[in-house]
Amino acid sequence: MKKSIVLVALLSLMTLGNKVSAQSISGAGATFPEPFYNAAFATYQRLANAKVTYGGIGSGGGIRSLKDKIVDFGASDAFLTNQELHGMPAPVVHIPTCSGAVVVAYNLPGVKQIKLTPTVLASIFLGQIRNWNHPALKKLNPGVRFPNKEITVVHRSDGSGTTNMFTDYLTKVNNVWRSKVGAGKTVNWPVGVGAKGNPGVAGAIHQTQGSIGYIGSEYAFAQREPSALIQNKAGKFIKATVASTSAAGKGKIPADTRVMLTNSSAPTAYPIAGFTWLLIYKDQAYNNRSLAQAQATLKLIDWMVSRNAQGLAVKTNYAPLPAGVAARAKAILRTVTYKGKRILK
Amino acid sequence: MDNIINIGKTAGLLSSIGYRKAKNNIFKILVMVFSFLTISMVFLIIGTLLVKGYKQINLAFFTQVAPDTFTAMMATANGEVIPGGIVNGILGSIYLVLIASAIAIPMGIVIGVYLSENSKKKYACVIRDLADIMQGVPSIVIGIIAYIWVVVPLTKGYSVLAGGVALAIMMLPLIVRSTEESLKMVPDTLKEAAIALGTPYYKVIWRVLIPTSFSGLISGILLAVSRVLGETAPLMLTTLGNPDVNWNVAKPGSAVPLLIWQFYNDPNMVNLIWSSTIFLMGFVLILNLISKWIGAKRK
Amino acid sequence: MNSDKILKRVLFFSSLVIVMIAAAMVFSLFEGSLPSISKFGWRFLISDKWDPTQGSENYGALLFIVGTILTSVLALVIAIPLAFCTSLFVAEYFHGTKLASIVGTLVDLLAGIPSIIYGLWGFYILCPLVVEAGLSPQGFGIFTSALILAIMIVPYATSLSNTTIAMVPNDLKEAAYALGATRLEVIRTVILPNARSGMTASYILAFGRAIGETLAVTMLIGNENAIPHGLFSTGNTMASVIANQFGEASGLQLSALIELALLLFVITTIINAIGKYIIKKIG
Repeated sequence: MKKSIVLVALLSLMTLGNKVSAQSISGAGATFPEPFYNAAFATYQRLANAKVTYGGIGSGGGIRSLKDKIVDFGASDAFLTNQELHGMPAPVVHIPTCSGAVVVAYNLPGVKQIKLTPTVLASIFLGQIRNWNHPALKKLNPGVRFPNKEITVVHRSDGSGTTNMFTDYLTKVNNVWRSKVGAGKTVNWPVGVGAKGNPGVAGAIHQTQGSIGYIGSEYAFAQREPSALIQNKAGKFIKATVASTSAAGKGKIPADTRVMLTNSSAPTAYPIAGFTWLLIYKDQAYNNRSLAQAQATLKLIDWMVSRNAQGLAVKTNYAPLPAGVAARAKAILRTVTYKGKRILK
Repeated sequence: MDNIINIGKTAGLLSSIGYRKAKNNIFKILVMVFSFLTISMVFLIIGTLLVKGYKQINLAFFTQVAPDTFTAMMATANGEVIPGGIVNGILGSIYLVLIASAIAIPMGIVIGVYLSENSKKKYACVIRDLADIMQGVPSIVIGIIAYIWVVVPLTKGYSVLAGGVALAIMMLPLIVRSTEESLKMVPDTLKEAAIALGTPYYKVIWRVLIPTSFSGLISGILLAVSRVLGETAPLMLTTLGNPDVNWNVAKPGSAVPLLIWQFYNDPNMVNLIWSSTIFLMGFVLILNLISKWIGAKRK
Repeated sequence: MNSDKILKRVLFFSSLVIVMIAAAMVFSLFEGSLPSISKFGWRFLISDKWDPTQGSENYGALLFIVGTILTSVLALVIAIPLAFCTSLFVAEYFHGTKLASIVGTLVDLLAGIPSIIYGLWGFYILCPLVVEAGLSPQGFGIFTSALILAIMIVPYATSLSNTTIAMVPNDLKEAAYALGATRLEVIRTVILPNARSGMTASYILAFGRAIGETLAVTMLIGNENAIPHGLFSTGNTMASVIANQFGEASGLQLSALIELALLLFVITTIINAIGKYIIKKIG
């Protein structure tokens, strides 16, 4: 009995002890940008004496947390549809922070590089092209010696923004895919095995000869996975790099930045790319939120879209925002209010 | 088959010493073989962990917070050991387990006592079955429940308290059932003797039943603690994670399994998962040794 | 006498905690699955579709129910001989020796390994073995998952069994030996009947652990949404699909996942009851 009283007293002391300290901000959501965000937040903590905790629980979890008003910001690889926006308790703004791509990785010993058109790519994932020595592949890659091996398709078993981007692209470029499978964070894959997370897919591809799958660029670039060149809308075969990913954002972007960058028409753009966003409420005065907390949150996000943080993005294998998009992001931040008054100047 | 048995019976073979001894020896060999199989699996797994992770273990591992992907990338590129450690996770895990234990151990033991003392009653059977069913609930579902009941209404944000509650729910069935079964093994004669001497009920429980079954209780508690030390899914939905050490129960906290999950998904930090697991194993080992020491002292 | 009554009351009320937690779980899960229940009704149980595509959403639990039962029952079948023999080793044959102490501790360590590590170990070590043996193209499948599950649940099956076997009163065993029984016969006629309750409890707890395991299974089962047609084909389980899709799900999909969690409750209840019944009949 005595021991439990002491324990309770100790616990409450610990709770008290933390009242006077640096501002603490919490966010949750997408796993795709998590390495970049963690590196950025660690840097920001040194600069601004503000502690940021971020949990990579998935875009859906991030949106849910924001809806339940238990975090300062949510993070999502997919922007909220009009219907989803209506479902939120108050208006929400999207601020893009960086972009990433989906690379198509494969395991073919001895093969240095392969080119794929959207049609061939879709056919492989639809299960229509089942063997590596199919004439369509040979035609696209005349110099390559394809083995007579069955193609093992590897996809994600968990719901993910990477899947969403990949299937969104396939839906845009292939009618059969559009009617048969469609786009989404989780879809009904016609063929293939599912592996969990980027490491799962990458690992499965490494261990299975003749396999092909899709991986998020942050993972693929860091691990230097061999990836296919995909033909973009302008007809060029583009390799996925930080530069070609950023190029996808250079076209026309709507004012609220809610757009999928897949199948971009920019000539040097890699066709399977997209933004990732931070989501906050347009009016920050909810749930007894203090002005200080709102200011701290906005200052953090403002820093994320400015030059230093964007430079860090490049270093960690993420594609920075093109100048126009960064400016748009800053403009959106300046429309966020607290009790009607703009927070940032 | 029947004919052989009949012939055997007539010849007195089936009850002969030779036959019984043969069965006995064959059984002993089987037991040895299967035990050996189990132990070799253990060695295989722990061996893999040690081989993959020993390079990352150093003093900094226990004193510094988790590195970020950029620092890790630089270190790997230079062929160095990745700096930083997991102290935010270590202290976070210990904090969570303390909170969960403070809730689950007293409650679990008391409920276990109730079940063993009333084991024939129908109501007790229902409670027992409910506890067994709770054991089968996936950890992520418990995380969802703790999210609905603690994160949103109570702490209005991800918090260590929610994580502690989720872990406590996971520990409960194990502690309840092992307490109950251990108490059931105490010979009735001991209990009856104490009652016959006029000992009040609470003293019978506190001074006769619990001390006799103490090693069983400790095993159950140890198993429950070992399990929750390695759980990830419920913590993702309740305590979220924290780059620093955090003592505030109403704020997000870190834990070693959360860090392991983070390292796994980060292409530059994947090698840290093995050393983090070695730490968890070491911690469970220490708890094991402590409990054996306590058990030995009591004898 | 008064303190006795008070104590008995306290014990009784404490048991209500279990009821409250279970009720809270069922209530929340039921509330969350209402949209799915009202849309699919009974068809949910027998439908093998799982289609999250917007506009044509259709969910059914059959695939996952089959996968769950296959993997967890197979895991238990593999684990019981291992755990049973190891328990006898530690608590009977070598009871009290240093060897038993070391073996017991080593097995207990298995319980502390995070499930993601089990998944990875299975991926790096088991899958290639299965591929080499020609049993499966990539190593994923029901069998691989069941094998890993079996290893994971052995400590749960041994922990309580060790305790109860060791606590069988010595005088009963000595009496049997005095009558000329062999060790096997003492085990069969004295130890097992006495320790039966505890051993059953430990196997039920181990089974619960197997049926609720998510991460390790999800990394090894191949996540194919099709009814498994053999031991080495891929499949999916309820816990695995919930863990995989919960983070990103919303609306009807989320409700279907929560309904799966509710169903898992029901299935665990049924299988536990069957298991207890079988044990009663054997004994």
